[in-house]
Amino acid sequence: MPKQKNPFWSFFASVYLTIILLVFTVVLSIVGTLIPQQDAAREFAKGIPPGLASFLQTMQVFDLFHSVWLFLLMLLLSMNLIVCSLNRWPLTWKQFRGAPFSGEEGLFRGLSPECIFLCDKDVGIMTGRLEGLLNRKYQKISKSEEKEDTVIICGERGRYSRFAVYVVHLSLLLLIRGALTGAFWGWEGYVNIGEGETADAIDLKGGKGAKTLPFTIRCDKFIVAFYENGAPKTYRSDLTFLKDNKMLYQGPLLVNHPISLEGVRVYQASYGSSPDGRASLAFYRGGKEGKIIKVGPGESFSLPEKEGTVQIVRLEENLMQMGPAAKILVRSGQGEVSFWVFLHIDKIREMNPGVTEQVPMFNPALFKPYLFVLKGIEERYYTGLQVSSDPGAPLVAAAAVLMMVGLIGTFFSSHRRIWIKIQPAGEKTKISVAARTNKHPVVLDREVRQLTEQIKVSLEKEST
Amino acid sequence: MTNTMILSWVTFLYFGAFVFYLFRLVFGREFWGKAACYAVLGGLGAHTLGLLLRWQESYALGIGHAPLSNFYESLIFFAWTVVTLYIIVEWRIKNRSLGVFVLPVAFLLMAFASLAPNISDRIQPLVPALQSNWLTSHVVTCFMGYAAFTVAFAIGIMYFLRDIPLFGFIPEADILDELIYQNAVLGFVFLTLGILTGSVWAHYAWGSYWSWDPKETWSLITWLIYAVMLHARYVRGWKGKRMAVLAIIGFVAVLFTYLGVNYLPGLHSYLQS
Ligand code: HEM
Repeated sequence: MPKQKNPFWSFFASVYLTIILLVFTVVLSIVGTLIPQQDAAREFAKGIPPGLASFLQTMQVFDLFHSVWLFLLMLLLSMNLIVCSLNRWPLTWKQFRGAPFSGEEGLFRGLSPECIFLCDKDVGIMTGRLEGLLNRKYQKISKSEEKEDTVIICGERGRYSRFAVYVVHLSLLLLIRGALTGAFWGWEGYVNIGEGETADAIDLKGGKGAKTLPFTIRCDKFIVAFYENGAPKTYRSDLTFLKDNKMLYQGPLLVNHPISLEGVRVYQASYGSSPDGRASLAFYRGGKEGKIIKVGPGESFSLPEKEGTVQIVRLEENLMQMGPAAKILVRSGQGEVSFWVFLHIDKIREMNPGVTEQVPMFNPALFKPYLFVLKGIEERYYTGLQVSSDPGAPLVAAAAVLMMVGLIGTFFSSHRRIWIKIQPAGEKTKISVAARTNKHPVVLDREVRQLTEQIKVSLEKEST
Repeated sequence: MTNTMILSWVTFLYFGAFVFYLFRLVFGREFWGKAACYAVLGGLGAHTLGLLLRWQESYALGIGHAPLSNFYESLIFFAWTVVTLYIIVEWRIKNRSLGVFVLPVAFLLMAFASLAPNISDRIQPLVPALQSNWLTSHVVTCFMGYAAFTVAFAIGIMYFLRDIPLFGFIPEADILDELIYQNAVLGFVFLTLGILTGSVWAHYAWGSYWSWDPKETWSLITWLIYAVMLHARYVRGWKGKRMAVLAIIGFVAVLFTYLGVNYLPGLHSYLQS
């Protein structure tokens, strides 16, 4: 082939190159797992000499999996694959199209004795019978009449498996293409949305700034359920997606079940609670219970008979290890007083007798004649969403399917051909069986043995 | 829990099988080979039963899931796939000398699962991200791959021991070579399937089909090593010792993928629990 004279072509047509590139990829990957990458690399870089750190930084060693090196390796591998496949294609095509009786010189030379035997029937009868036998296991049967009454019949199987390697390699090309598409045009980030709040932008991963989404996400509700051991069992957010004030989609989002909209995928990634929820506050006046009021930080309500107004100034999940507490400010004709109201006030009193007298700030009855009781702080959940877009993903998915098909074709099937020569030998007829395969000779041997057994058995049955 | 009790008995059965395989060699009597084979079959039966019971018990606890979710369960399942594959190979090649090399692996896996102090054999509930059928297919296919690589590794070791007179019982080099190749192929196909199903799961659970976390990266490394091995054979016609060496190198990568990366941070470190 003239093409092979071209040094560029022969460089990429070499399987040594493939092996070297694969080994390089292995080495790069190992280094990438041993040296901290991306965010972790920042910490690591502080612990080594600054000169070395900046050298490694320039060489992109701190982000090997998105580096020029990996990109180059993948590019070279792709070229290698393409050139190799093109180079090989004419041969494969020839073998695929190959007529059953050409190019198989010396097919019947050096056969093992088990593959040759004699019988009494004449050539015509045996030909018909053996054709029938081959027909059962092989797809394509052809026949050629040779000189001196000799007939050769050929059965063939798995012709298409010759293409399976190309399918595997094509799938790899697709995979690399898809991965690069994702790396260049894909993005990924996070956003936390409190219940009742909306967001239309996310924080890109790796400190790459923010990105505005093509829609607005509102978190209507967040629900989480726990196992007895405290681990989360399920959680979900009820979301509404809006665009130009019109609703695009509304529905629950669960872990493992992302929502896909306008090329953007939204995942339930995490959750949390923030203490800026609302306090449930009850008050007693002279021992008589008033109603329970829900107030958020900064909000206020008035006491009956205009005796004053109460404002929540702070809410703490856990104040000085004493549990949830609300700091309130009461304004009245007598002036302003401010003190803490605890959820577990009884327990606190028990553990520190007299504390409410010694520390007026902790006395819930400081504003007379009222007594305030914290019934609880409503936790306000926020949902943690991961938002991403990967235009390469469909390519990668197609590549995955192709790869499995190709691998199964490559490893578990082969192109097998069997020839049976039937020729007169004096009074008798001589039968010889020959076979060829492109791989798995062991499997073929077994098949040939079975076939010859079958022929012998059927002949014996008749002669008795 | 009954299942853990059964599973710890299985450990002893596998150890017994190993000893019997050893006796077969030392005394040269097929009686011991048969005894070993029965011990393996009995062990495998009990092992299967133990796994099924564990599965059922998890439902009884109200947190039903396939027993494939923590480190203990993965070790037990790994041992199960290794022994299952071994039985198939023994039956196909009609030769019992492989047992001396494979059974210790199964025994060690089981013993490690039962005895290591920081491995909990409790049935634990699954956090939401792990509640996925893709995860189950991912784990099953990966461990089938690992099992095939383990058998290929054991045969690779046999290949080198053949030269020592003491080990005259080891089959022909050609047979070993073919077995290494077949198991490497089987492992490669399953590992590929394992990586692909893992990516599908990651795509649904983590928002990206591939995120270069250490376990992912090491599975890719393993995959590439076996790809090199298969190419060397297909295209350059490598056989015998070289294939045995690659089977051993590949297995080191498998071990690192399975255990080593737990010492590196990443998504998959839930296996540490
Ligand atoms: C990872 C990237 C891969 C690259 C760059 C690659 C490249 C190559 C190259 C250059 C050849 C030589 C073709 C020739 O002889 O002209 C080849 C052959 C082959 N490759 Fe790959 N390959 C890759 C992955 C795979 C995988 C994963 C398989 C798994 C089945 C595979 C199976 C084969 C087979 C069976 C052959 C022999 C083809 C034949 O002789 O007909 N390759 N590969």
